[in-house]
Amino acid sequence: MSARVDVPRDLRIRSRWAPHVTTLRYLALFALVCLFLIPVYVLVVTALKDPSQVSPRQMWNLPDVLSLDTFRTVWPKLETGFRNSLVMAVPASIISSVLGAANGFVLSKWRFPGADIVFALILFGMFIPYQSILIPLRQVLSDAGLTNLTGLALVHIIYGLPITTLIFRSYFASISDELIDASQVDGAGMLRTFAYVAVPIALPAFAVSIIWQFTQAWNDFLFGIVVVTRATHWPVTVALNNTAGSQVVPYHEAMAAAALASIPTLLVYVLMGRFFMRGLMAGALKG
Amino acid sequence: MEPVGIRLQGVTKRFKGHVLAVDNVNLEIEPGEFMVLVGPSGCGKSTLLRVIAGLEEVSGGRVYLGDEDVTTKLPQHRDVAMVFQSYALYPRMSVRRNMGFGLRMRRTEKTERDRRVDEVAHILGLERLLDRRPGALSGGQRQRVAMGRAIVREPKVFLLDEPLSNLDAKLRVTMRAQLSLLHQRLGVTTVYVTHDQVEAMTLGQRVAVLRDGVLQQVDTPTNLFRHPVNLFVAAFIGSPSMNFVQGRVANGSVNFADVTIPLPAGSALAGSDRQVVVGIRPTGFSTATGDGLPTMKAVPDVVEDLGDERYIHFDVDAPRVDTEATRAAVDAKSAEDILLLPEDRARFTVRLPVDTPVTAGQPVTLAVSPDRLHFFDPESGATL
Amino acid sequence: MYRLRKWGPAILLILPSLLAIGVFVYGFLGWNLTVSLSDWRGLRPSYNYVGFENYTRLASDGRFTNSVGNVIVFTIVFVGGALLVGFLLAYLVERRIRGEGFFRAIFLFPMAISLIAVAIIWRWLMSNATGAQQTGLNRLFSSIGLEFLVNDWFKADQPFAVMAVAIAAGWALSGYIMALFLAGMRGVSDDLREAARVDGASERRVFWHIVRPMLLPVLMSAVVILVHISFKTFDLIFAMDAESRLIEMPAIYMWFTTFDSFNFNRGAAIATLLMVGVAVVIVPYIWYSMRMERRQ
Repeated sequence: MSARVDVPRDLRIRSRWAPHVTTLRYLALFALVCLFLIPVYVLVVTALKDPSQVSPRQMWNLPDVLSLDTFRTVWPKLETGFRNSLVMAVPASIISSVLGAANGFVLSKWRFPGADIVFALILFGMFIPYQSILIPLRQVLSDAGLTNLTGLALVHIIYGLPITTLIFRSYFASISDELIDASQVDGAGMLRTFAYVAVPIALPAFAVSIIWQFTQAWNDFLFGIVVVTRATHWPVTVALNNTAGSQVVPYHEAMAAAALASIPTLLVYVLMGRFFMRGLMAGALKG
Repeated sequence: MEPVGIRLQGVTKRFKGHVLAVDNVNLEIEPGEFMVLVGPSGCGKSTLLRVIAGLEEVSGGRVYLGDEDVTTKLPQHRDVAMVFQSYALYPRMSVRRNMGFGLRMRRTEKTERDRRVDEVAHILGLERLLDRRPGALSGGQRQRVAMGRAIVREPKVFLLDEPLSNLDAKLRVTMRAQLSLLHQRLGVTTVYVTHDQVEAMTLGQRVAVLRDGVLQQVDTPTNLFRHPVNLFVAAFIGSPSMNFVQGRVANGSVNFADVTIPLPAGSALAGSDRQVVVGIRPTGFSTATGDGLPTMKAVPDVVEDLGDERYIHFDVDAPRVDTEATRAAVDAKSAEDILLLPEDRARFTVRLPVDTPVTAGQPVTLAVSPDRLHFFDPESGATL
Repeated sequence: MYRLRKWGPAILLILPSLLAIGVFVYGFLGWNLTVSLSDWRGLRPSYNYVGFENYTRLASDGRFTNSVGNVIVFTIVFVGGALLVGFLLAYLVERRIRGEGFFRAIFLFPMAISLIAVAIIWRWLMSNATGAQQTGLNRLFSSIGLEFLVNDWFKADQPFAVMAVAIAAGWALSGYIMALFLAGMRGVSDDLREAARVDGASERRVFWHIVRPMLLPVLMSAVVILVHISFKTFDLIFAMDAESRLIEMPAIYMWFTTFDSFNFNRGAAIATLLMVGVAVVIVPYIWYSMRMERRQ
C-alpha cells in the first residue's frame, strides 16, 4: 500500500469517489481537531494574557499583549509541589521499572510452574480501585512514619509493579528463547543472564516503563492527598488543586497553574511520544 | 582438552500433555566422534540434543559425559558448547564480547580471554569483524561467530542444532566441507542435528536415525545406505528416495507387475513364499546390455536432465507402497501430501548416465542386479 | 534437585515484588473488608464485628444511592461517548493519510496531563455564570448565535450535571480509545482486505465485513478499560466540584465519609462495593486474555 505514494498522481488506481472521500476525511478531521483543541486554546490564551485584560467578556479573545505575569504570580504557589513531585517521581519510576524488569523477565523466560497464575495475580493489582486499599494504606504508613515523600514514592513503586511487570513481560516474550538457552550453555545462571543479556536488550522497554511510570506518578492526585500529611510535602497535583481548586481564585491564575503543572509530562510526551504510546498500549493487554 | 564420550542410557523425555518426545534412547558416542542425529521434524532429535546440553530435564534415564553422570546438572555446569539454528548471538555485544562471554562467565582472565578469542577469530577469518555487532553482520558471518563462540570455550562437547539450515543452498554445501575440516583440526566430540539426510550422510562419521523419539539405526553412512534395517530408514536415507513396490517371493524369485527377478545367491528368503515390499534404489538400475541381468521394460513419462545425470520416472503396474513408514520418511501426514495428482500405482525413479538415449513416451529396457534388491516385511517394515 | 536449582533463584528474585503485592493489594483488600464489617468510627480504630450492617445501611443511605445513580449515568455516557468518538477518530485517521502521526499526537495529549488540570480547564469552560459574568462555552454559544445550547453544565439538574462531567472525561480519554482501535484495525492483515477488493467488494463493504468483525476483541478491551476507569474516577470530580451532590459518585463519597467524617466502616463498605463492581468486569477479562495468550 505504501507504494501508492511513489506513483504519479494521474496514474494511481483509485475509485471514482476517492478524491472526494479523501477531502471529506481531511475536512472532518480538521473540524474535529479544532473542536478538540478548544480547551487548549482557552488555556494558552488565558495564561498568556496580561492580567489586566482578563475578564469573562474577553475570555475568548486573543491577548493583545503577551505576558508572563500570571505565571510569575502562580509559580511560587506551585514551586514546592513541583520540587516534591520531581524528587518523588523520578526515583519511583526508575525503581519500579527495575523491579518490573526482573519480574517480567522471570515470568516470561523462566517459566516455573504457576508462573502464569502469579502473573495474573500481579496484574489484577493494576485494576483495583485504590479506594479499596486507602484505609489500610493510611494506617500502615502513618504507623511506619512514612506519611511523606518517601512513603509516596514507595506507594507509587508498589502499585506501579503490575504495569511495569506487564510491560517487560510482553517485551521479553518477544525475544527468542534461544538467546536465554545460549546464555545458560555459556555458563550464566538466571541472575547473570538477566544482568548481562536481558537488561541490555530491554533498553527500549525501560524507556517505555520509566516514561509511563513517571507520567503516572506525576499526575497522581489520590495517593498524594492520602499519603502525605504535611503541606510542605505535597506533590504538584495537590498544590495545583489547592491553588486553583476554589471557585474564588481568578480563573486566569488557575489556568496558568494547570499549564505549569503539566509542563514536565507534556514535555516528555512531545519528546518521547513513541515510548509513551507503547506504555499506553501495554495497558490494554493486547487481548 | 581430551575429548570425552557421551553415553545416553534409556533416555526418555515426556512433555506436558503426555507427548513422548524421546523414547528409551540408548546411544553411545565415542570420544572425538562426529555423530549426526537425523530424522523428520518432530522425531526428537533436537530434544535429545537439548537433553545432552541440560536445557531439558529427562523424564527417565541417565546422561553421561565421559565418566561423569550429568543427568541432574544445569547447563552452565556441563561444559558443553552449543550452536543454535538461529545462532542466538547477543545483540548488544560486539563479536569479541559474544565470543568471550562463555569465558567471562567462567571467570577467565581478560588477557587469556582476548588471546583465545583472537586465535579463534583468526581460524574463522573474523578478525576484521571483532568490534561489530551481530546486527551488522551477514548470515554467513553470524554463523561463523556462533561457531567461534562455541570453539573458544574449548568445551568437552560441541552440540550443533541445524546450524546450516538458515544458509542458502550453495553456501550450505561449502560450509559442510568446512565443518568437516574444522572437526578434523579440533577433534572435539560433536553431536550434530539435522533433518537433511544429505547433510547427515556427508558430515557424520556415524549417523543416528530417529523416528517419533525412537532410535531406528545407528551406523556409518555407508551401512545405512547399503543395509537399512527397516523400511523407514531405507526410505529416509538416499536422495532421490528408494523405489518401493509390492511383490511376491515364490520359487526363488520375486515377482511384481510383469517383472520376475531371481533372488540373490544366499538370500534368506530362498525357500519362502510370501508377500514382500521390494525396494530398489534409483542407482540400482542400468540400461540393458544383454549381459544376462534380469530386465524390465519401462515407459518413462517424465525425463529430467540435470546436466551430468539423467532421471527418468515411470509407472509400474503394481500397487504403490503407502505405509506410515514411507510417509513419515518424507514428513507427510497422508497420501495427499505427497502426490499432486492421485495415483494408485507404484512410481519408479531411475538414474541413468547422461548420454543414454531415452525420451518420454518411448519404451526403454532396464537391467537390475539381484544384489541391489532390498526386501521388507509389509507389516513391520523390518528388513528381510 | 535440578528443578529447585533451576527455578530457585528466579523465585527469589521476584519474591520481594510478590510479597509487596501480597500485602499491599491482597492483604489490604482483606483488611478493608474487615473494616467494612466493623464498627470503626472516629479516629481510633475499632474492630468489633457487626456483620453486614454497614452494607445494609448503605442501601438505605440516600446519599449513597444518589452516588450510585450518578456513576451509572456517568459510565453509560462516558463509555458510549468515548467509544463513538474514539472509533470515529480511528476510522478517519486509519487510511494512512499524511500527517497521521500529527493527528494521533493531538488527540492523545490529554493522556499526558493530570485529571486535575483537565478538571480545572473544563470547570471553567463549563461555567454557568450569567449576565456580565457569563463566560466559558456559554459565552461562546451566545456570541455565535447558539443561545439554545447555553446551560448549567455540571451544576444543572441530575442527570445532566453528570453528563457534563462525562464530556470532560470523554475528551480526556477519546484519544486512548482511538489508539486502541487504530491498533486493532492495523492488525487486520492487508492480504485479507486486498483479497476482498480484488473479489469486487467496495471499500465500505471491505470495512463492514472484514475489518469490523476483527475489531470485536478491541471493543471488548476498550469497554472493560473504560468501565473500570469510570468506577475509579475521583480526581476529575474532586477538582471540578468536590462537594456537589449533583455529581457525587461512590469514590468521592467514600473519601468524604472516611477522611472527613471519620466513618471508616462505611467508607470501607463503599470501597469494597467498588472493588466488587470492578472485579466483575476485570476478572473475566484477565482470565480471557491469559487464555488467548496461551493459545498462541
